Amino acid sequence: MTGLRAGTAVALAIARKDAMSELRGRQAAGSTLFFAALVLLLFGFALGPDSRRLAEAAPGLLWLAIVFGGLLTVARLHQLEADDGALEQLARYPVDRRAIYGGKVLAAAGAMIVLGGLLLPLVAILYGLDLAAGWPALTATLLLGAIGFGAVGTFYAGVTVRMRAREVMLPLLMLPVIAPLLLAAVNATAAALGGDPFGELPAWLQLLAGFDAVMLVAGAATYGQLLEE
Amino acid sequence: MTDVWFVVAGWGVIMGGLALYAGLLLRRLGAAREASLRIRRDAEALPPPAPPAT
Amino acid sequence: MKTRILGAAALAAVVVAGANALFVVPADVNQGDAQRIMYVHVPAAWLAYLSFGVTALAGVGYLWRRDLRLDAVAVSGAEIGVMFTAFAIWGGMMWGRPVWGVFWQWEDPRLTTTALLLALYVGYLLFRRLTDDPHRRAARAAVVGLVAAVDIPIVHFSVEWWRGLHQGPTIGSPDRVLNPAAPGQFVIALVSMVAAFTLAWAWLMIRRYQLARIEWQIEEHGRLGRISAARHAARTAAARAASGEGAT
Repeated sequence: MTGLRAGTAVALAIARKDAMSELRGRQAAGSTLFFAALVLLLFGFALGPDSRRLAEAAPGLLWLAIVFGGLLTVARLHQLEADDGALEQLARYPVDRRAIYGGKVLAAAGAMIVLGGLLLPLVAILYGLDLAAGWPALTATLLLGAIGFGAVGTFYAGVTVRMRAREVMLPLLMLPVIAPLLLAAVNATAAALGGDPFGELPAWLQLLAGFDAVMLVAGAATYGQLLEE
Repeated sequence: MTDVWFVVAGWGVIMGGLALYAGLLLRRLGAAREASLRIRRDAEALPPPAPPAT
Repeated sequence: MKTRILGAAALAAVVVAGANALFVVPADVNQGDAQRIMYVHVPAAWLAYLSFGVTALAGVGYLWRRDLRLDAVAVSGAEIGVMFTAFAIWGGMMWGRPVWGVFWQWEDPRLTTTALLLALYVGYLLFRRLTDDPHRRAARAAVVGLVAAVDIPIVHFSVEWWRGLHQGPTIGSPDRVLNPAAPGQFVIALVSMVAAFTLAWAWLMIRRYQLARIEWQIEEHGRLGRISAARHAARTAAARAASGEGAT
């Protein structure tokens, strides 16, 4: 049992460290939020001005904005350490690699939840949505989506952190993997906002949860090897 | 008369925001002036390489 | 001292004009009390665009003269402009909800252009943070501000054209309050609010400009080191005494 407790402590410590550096380097996180908001604004220009079409497209646009912002976030969470050579140091600690992975996923998911949470009211305003309708389901979708994105993103950020052309490699590798998550999250969001007329919400949420579970296991199993390189 | 709340929200945020910004600005200005004075005092405390003009 | 008088005058003007617009002027026949929001929304929008113009012009001025004081004007305009732009959008939304039924309408060229104005401003301010060297920062910011300024009218016209193509319904126009045929009381209320806000804007600009100059001096001292700072401080003190420049 000590292994699990120690592992959790390590994971939390890493998550907290990442959260601190996100808060301290407010500008980068703020710029990411601003970028995602800008994406949403521009989607309005691209698809508008018919408000009904925009309202229908809103869930997809929201999650695209979250994904784009998330790419930047997840890359940034790895970049700080890579630049300082802290990743090698981290690898040398006699600590369960899965705890390190868990901590970084926690940080990434947390950042994504904040991002999504801030974008939701913006989307509601720009695309005329009524959030009050399905907010519990919306929250669940955001949480599951953030965890899944964090799991996949942390893994691929670890893969690409020392590569050349990593700015394009990260999305290139990640986005195909993320497709099921995007699908499930968008449909769950649309169902939640529309009052779930076909009762499909539970199925989408289950898909999200399953995706998260699979990715977390796969990532935890292989992340350690990435650190060893 | 639910319209009133929008008027309150509109005016409240704008007027309040203005007041807040003005207050913060004055505070930043005060702090900056103090810092600038401190720097000048510290600098003048040093033996000047060239004699001060006044 | 003069600035303090300006500040007091601005405050008085805002209070008087504001009280008039909120409580004395009658509500609009069609839009009801919601129309009162226009009395803050219009001045905010006007000052947002004015600030932006000032920032762009000051930037051009810097590129021409390389005088950092112009850059101080530019950053003041940007920071104050961001605030008024946010106010204008907020006011527009608070007005739009009761009158249009929605917080946002894509076909309104003013609302969407102002949203992009906000984006441009925020980008400008974030961009400034990335450069430490004052002159390089001023030059880069000037260029960014200039391109942004050129973009704004293009955005406005394209959104107007966009609306025309889609024949969107324009229920209720914010223009009503700007219409010169409007009842005299409305016009007076609006004009007095614009004037009062502009006074406040002028005071804010002056203060923000003073702050920018002092912050630059502090930056300068930090960079040049103490000995040079001493030399600089002595020279500045002498110049201050000579020109009688007060610290108001």
